[in-house]
Amino acid sequence: MWRSFTEAWRVAWQITALNFRAQLEYRVEFLIRIAFGIVWQLSIIVFAAVLLSKFSGMGGWTSSQILLLVATRMLCNGLYVLYCGSVFSLAFYVQQGLIDGYLLRPMPVFRQVQLVAFQTNGIGDLLVGVGLFAGAIARSPLDWTPSRIAYLAAGVIGGTLLITAVFTAVSAAALHFPASWYWSLWISEVSATFGSYPLSILPRAVGELLTWLLPIAFIAYLPVGVLTGHGAGLGVPIAIAAGAPLVALAMYIGSRLLWNWSLRHYTGVNG
Amino acid sequence: MIEPNPRQPLALRAAWITPLGELLAPPRIAATAIRMVIQIFLVVYLWHGLYSHTSTNSGLDRGQAVTFAVLAVLITRIRGLDRFAGRDTVFQHLAYGTIVYWFLRPLAPRRYYVLRALGDQAYGFAWVVVGYAACLASGVIEPPASGTAAAACAASLLLGQAVLYELTLLTDLMCFWTMHNDSAVQMIQFAQNLLSGAYAPLWYFPAWFITMSSFLPFQSTLNTPLSLYIGRIPVRQAPGDLLFQTAWVVALALISRLLWGRASRRVAVQGG
Amino acid sequence: MRSADEAHGEGIVVRGLTKVFYTTVRRPGFAGAVRSLIAPQRAAKTVVRDVSFDVARGELLALLGPNGAGKSTTIKMLTGILTPTRGAVMVAGMNPHLDRKRNARNIGAVFGQRTQLWWDLPAKESFTILRSIYGVPAERHRARLAELDRLLELSEFWQTRVRHLSLGQRVRCDLAAALLHDPAIVFLDEPTIGMDVVVKEQVRGLLRHEVEQRGRAVLLTTHDMTEVERLAERVVLINHGRIVLDGTLEEVRREFGGTWRIRATIADSALSASSPSSQAVRARDLPSGLELLSQDRTELVFAPAAATGYTPAITVPEALRAVVDRYPIVGISIEETDLEDAMRAAYLRQGVATAEPEPETGPGQDAGQVVS
Repeated sequence: MWRSFTEAWRVAWQITALNFRAQLEYRVEFLIRIAFGIVWQLSIIVFAAVLLSKFSGMGGWTSSQILLLVATRMLCNGLYVLYCGSVFSLAFYVQQGLIDGYLLRPMPVFRQVQLVAFQTNGIGDLLVGVGLFAGAIARSPLDWTPSRIAYLAAGVIGGTLLITAVFTAVSAAALHFPASWYWSLWISEVSATFGSYPLSILPRAVGELLTWLLPIAFIAYLPVGVLTGHGAGLGVPIAIAAGAPLVALAMYIGSRLLWNWSLRHYTGVNG
Repeated sequence: MIEPNPRQPLALRAAWITPLGELLAPPRIAATAIRMVIQIFLVVYLWHGLYSHTSTNSGLDRGQAVTFAVLAVLITRIRGLDRFAGRDTVFQHLAYGTIVYWFLRPLAPRRYYVLRALGDQAYGFAWVVVGYAACLASGVIEPPASGTAAAACAASLLLGQAVLYELTLLTDLMCFWTMHNDSAVQMIQFAQNLLSGAYAPLWYFPAWFITMSSFLPFQSTLNTPLSLYIGRIPVRQAPGDLLFQTAWVVALALISRLLWGRASRRVAVQGG
Repeated sequence: MRSADEAHGEGIVVRGLTKVFYTTVRRPGFAGAVRSLIAPQRAAKTVVRDVSFDVARGELLALLGPNGAGKSTTIKMLTGILTPTRGAVMVAGMNPHLDRKRNARNIGAVFGQRTQLWWDLPAKESFTILRSIYGVPAERHRARLAELDRLLELSEFWQTRVRHLSLGQRVRCDLAAALLHDPAIVFLDEPTIGMDVVVKEQVRGLLRHEVEQRGRAVLLTTHDMTEVERLAERVVLINHGRIVLDGTLEEVRREFGGTWRIRATIADSALSASSPSSQAVRARDLPSGLELLSQDRTELVFAPAAATGYTPAITVPEALRAVVDRYPIVGISIEETDLEDAMRAAYLRQGVATAEPEPETGPGQDAGQVVS
């Protein structure tokens, strides 16, 4: 079983390398995508910085804390795009009939979707995310003990898994309804807009909405909140907030199960 | 061969295609309504939250900021109705090869594109009107700063839509050269979102940013009309801004006109 | 009575059509990929080479050829989508590329798997939209739709959204959409691919009706030999971008496959009576115009000998009479050669012929002449 596991990773890595080379073929596109990823992320930074400077006292968070929040979210997003970004456009692949073909191959369909193409935008996202993240940590007055570092790492992984979980869940619907693409777009917008603010500036009810209905809070707000000592004012019991990475993992597993269930009921593109 | 009958409502029929597709799917209508309501809800609370400690910021008070933000959400309804689910975007037509039929009909592809875009925008506008009425009635947003402000806003909005139409057209035309135009689309979308003021009114940004974006067409699609509405831009300044918008419309229209010709020729030379 | 020229003038006329594509050459290896990023290299590929043929009104021409032979490219040039690199095309008296809008009213097209219907709307709505686009008066539209419904049984599913239609249903709707505005010329690029037999028959019935009753000129590309046999009077075979063959089905069969075979079982007594060896049978005079393909004791297989300039090809009744006269026959049967075998031979022949210099096909070439 260990061998089949390593084998699977080897195959996945091979395909990824091929996909990457395939992206290089479309020369202009490749460079534009990286550049664009960088520009996009830089602009989000500008945007956040602007609002930060204009509006003081964001729910009791200092600017360095908000910076860590924004950076964490950005890093998680970059990692998600590289790991699972193709799930976002699943509706398009369904339309093309790719899924029907994937069902005939001896590889899990979800993995094939992940490997459909190399998500070049992710490179730009990641570059800026890492840069900002490094900057945020440098500027943070926190004492970075090993346990804090470990928790932050867990938080980043958890955040990535959570973003993946949300889009995987929506794409489970994409297997049956092409219009679910609009939901993916919308969620992406909402999480980009609201994921970069400490949710404590919103009324409690709204914060709850963004924690339990659309679990944006778990991506960066809760873990970073716990790290920066806002544990009490996060709007959820401290145990859950601290356990955000675990909640994220659970949601990820849940979303994958949901996706498999949806796939079992897949009826294919029209005959 | 049949001679064209001038009394056929071709324009209406073609324009009505996307709305008809939407109306035939009640779940989609419901989903659109839900997303719109939730977004307005979130946005209202966000700006209330941001303004909890200040009364005025960058020349905007809370009421104005909230109005701006909510109207921004509504107006993004008119943003090119996404035809993706209907396999009806230019990109998809090129991907599936069904674009050939655009060039086989006695209706110029360019004219067909315009009719479809008009239909989509008219449909989106219906949503805007409904949403606006509801928000105004419930007191979520403020009425316009004055009658002339409202008129100026309307004119500016019309021009802004024309600008946006041209920008969308340009990214669609790009498909004819490279099927991998997602980056260009994303770039324009992103520039559009950021520089139009959809995320936040441009007034909060540093002076250099505002100056920079004043040279670009994006702010004319949202920031200008809405700022006129809430009175952030005084009405006496309106004619200048409107003229600027018009200039952009003309410039972009010329470019897209040129590219349509090139695109058709490219199909002729290289195939779909 | 229209002159041949007039009939041709109203149909499709193709002369010396050539199309060259330019593609970027991909260099192998990682370093090559990066180099291609900076300095791309271009290569020319001639997909269609000097193609000439005609399709008159009231005629259905089958355009055949293996995949990649240039059929689709040729059709795209005929519909005006691609501009030829060289050569001339006239469709119903117009140049399809220059006169696009006017030409569009004369033509209808179905491109295999690609649908021109709106995905999210019921097929009937698509027809209504197309009516507006082509400017068809309401009563004519209704009548035409009723006629097409009768031939294709569309009303069973034309209220369903196109997205939910099966392939056979969708292609039928696409055919209807292409014929709704009464075009004089119809282009069909592999329309029945992947469809079941019943639907294929319906489509063939429709095409026969359109060609014979309505006098349209139809150009059909297909891989299905049954379709060719049932629908086409004439066939043009393209391979490697060139015309290999342009003639009637009869000519194809005669040229590349022989048309028939006679299997005869002779009486045992005939063998032993003359001599124990089977050579005795062959020694006898074969009827002229026939050749013996094989002999397996009492089983003989005859085929028509290749027609020469002096001896006309033997007909089936003559051959039968000759065989029955000369041999003591116990059993006899006639087989028609598969058209598919004839085609295969035609493709292969072209493979040999490309080694030799090709004769130039000029505008003076008559349609119906077999080109080898």
